[in-house]
Amino acid sequence: MKNETVDVLIIGAGASGAAIAWSLLETRMRILCLEQGPHVADKDYPSRDDDYELSRYGKFSCDPNVRGLKQDYPINADDSCIMPVNFNAVGGSTINFLGHWPRMKPSDFRTKSLDGVAEDWPVNYAMLAPFYAMNDETTGVSGLGGNPAYPDYTPPLPPIPMGKLGQTLAKGFNKMGWHWWPSDVSILSQDYDGRQKCVNAGTCDLGCAAGAKGGTNFTYWPILENAGVELRTESRVREITVDQSTGFATGVIYHGPDGQVHEQKAELVIVACNGVGTPRLLLNSKSKMFPDGLANRSGMVGKNLMFHPLTGVSGVFNEPMKGHEGPMACSILSQEFYENDPSRDFMRGYGLHSGRSTTPMTYALGGYGVDNPIPWGAQHREVMDNVYPYLAGLTVVAEDLPEEHNRVTLDPDLADSDGIPAPKITYRLGDNSRKMLKHGEERAKEVLMAAGAKKVLTKGDDDVWWRAGWHQMGTCRMGNDPKKSIVNSWGRSHDVKNLFIVDGSIFVTAGAVNPTSTIQALSLYIGDSIKNNIETLFD
Amino acid sequence: MWTERENDLLIAVLDELIPANKKVGVPAAGALGVAGFLPTATSYAPDPVGSVKAVLKSIIDKSSDFTMLEGVEKIALLRDVETENAVDFGTLVQLTYMGYYSRPEVRSMFGVGAHAVQPKGYDVPRESDEFMESLTAPVRARGKFFRVV
Repeated sequence: MKNETVDVLIIGAGASGAAIAWSLLETRMRILCLEQGPHVADKDYPSRDDDYELSRYGKFSCDPNVRGLKQDYPINADDSCIMPVNFNAVGGSTINFLGHWPRMKPSDFRTKSLDGVAEDWPVNYAMLAPFYAMNDETTGVSGLGGNPAYPDYTPPLPPIPMGKLGQTLAKGFNKMGWHWWPSDVSILSQDYDGRQKCVNAGTCDLGCAAGAKGGTNFTYWPILENAGVELRTESRVREITVDQSTGFATGVIYHGPDGQVHEQKAELVIVACNGVGTPRLLLNSKSKMFPDGLANRSGMVGKNLMFHPLTGVSGVFNEPMKGHEGPMACSILSQEFYENDPSRDFMRGYGLHSGRSTTPMTYALGGYGVDNPIPWGAQHREVMDNVYPYLAGLTVVAEDLPEEHNRVTLDPDLADSDGIPAPKITYRLGDNSRKMLKHGEERAKEVLMAAGAKKVLTKGDDDVWWRAGWHQMGTCRMGNDPKKSIVNSWGRSHDVKNLFIVDGSIFVTAGAVNPTSTIQALSLYIGDSIKNNIETLFD
Repeated sequence: MWTERENDLLIAVLDELIPANKKVGVPAAGALGVAGFLPTATSYAPDPVGSVKAVLKSIIDKSSDFTMLEGVEKIALLRDVETENAVDFGTLVQLTYMGYYSRPEVRSMFGVGAHAVQPKGYDVPRESDEFMESLTAPVRARGKFFRVV
């Protein structure tokens, strides 16, 4: 079955796909987005159910291998210490992300020239700053202006409550003389743009039924659909097709909700499937012209996979911390150890993030993203009665450096429900990251004690959180050298002139902050570049 | 599903996995009725009934009447079963925690609301501007804190 040719075909309705569609609206081009997942209906948000915690281990797990829904693709992570996590629906992983919204810092874009590691980005903070601000306005970002860890900017909404837990930790940081600041969050502290402010439900990972969290299903997509952008759901792209004489992308082959295979032609193809989905699709788009996968003449598609390895440290305090009240991962953020310090035994740095604690079932089962239940028997009683209510924790979020052996390939045996090869992850934690996490763990202990903890709990091993693969970056990185990168400084493929990539896969380095605000700022920047270069777009 | 004897045994085992805290009125898992949750938990384990039966069989093989044992003897026996059949025992522990803490009335015993968290949520007041000014003053006093590129 064939469809009429569209001007712009976007693959993926998550963070970056929605942002670039919004950017291109003013061009009046015909825009179509194909999304493998469905719309999430209001009734399907588990936070409206009495037993809401159970869904974290079933249909709303962050792990696609646990969810196993039709729209999910399995991921082979047998050769990885971190499992990639995601969500497949309109909104993508912004459905179940936690809404933490820090920007990358100016030095993050210059790691090679400043610190001699990784590569410099072909863009910088100043170029992205207007797009960060534009995206913050559309998304509805809450935070406190004047953070001395960044060039000046002020989020459009005041900060969300820090709560008892955040206040306690902030005082500890002050005692240590260390930087901290209320977290920037894509969570509404006030009613905004027809959306209801956050009710502090504490279950951001189960989707925000109220729309207070800035998932693109609540921010960009209502605008886009009203403006006439066509969104085809339950439509999974199998491959991007190429004219073998011109080398231009001609469109895609996709599996539709009717169970049939369709062809969709397009003048311009934009890939927005993030750091695992995008290389998977390119590697599966082989042809005579691109025998190793589309846009892969450099051989770099899928390589340099970066996550943010995490470890957690908890303090047990004398009073209940009420950690389940308020946005799940967002209270305060310390960047005291973020910038590079040559006196340390590792390069680059990390953040100390104060999430809140979780609900009883999740704690009993080992914590969010961890499968390691607490003991049964008398010890269970002791932990749940005398530890759980009194916890406040810090998460060490480490900057991962790009390493070519960390990569996404196609699994020769595993496939999704449409028979498309599944991604295989090969990832091992670098020595630099391991040293960084150790350093962060020790600093977290110090600040928790300074904040008044009577006891500090660590995992006691070298393992990182298993389901910590939210942030998937680097597998189709941008750059000026076609031999070392996949896309140029404005997201256009070096090899295929009408193919763009706008998601986390184009990151050159990872920084040590949640990437979604940067992904969307970058996507808006690329949209702007497309508009500015429209007359010579394919030259 | 399982016999009356198996059911009595299962309740006794669940009471050991999550015992009661009688001082504050927190019930044990067996007494709360978690046994009824286990056969329904097929979304969370491939064969919950099979795992439960395997654990119960291991217990019966070791003791003709687990329920009559002293507390320390029960624990010791369960530790042996856990060692010998870690997978099924681990599944039983995991599902017991799920069945127990999914009960709204249990959540409230740990300071967490019994209600579904949408639409009501929790009332957390935002800190005043004056309070935030004071709390962030030491941080601001250090001045700019990033590398200028």
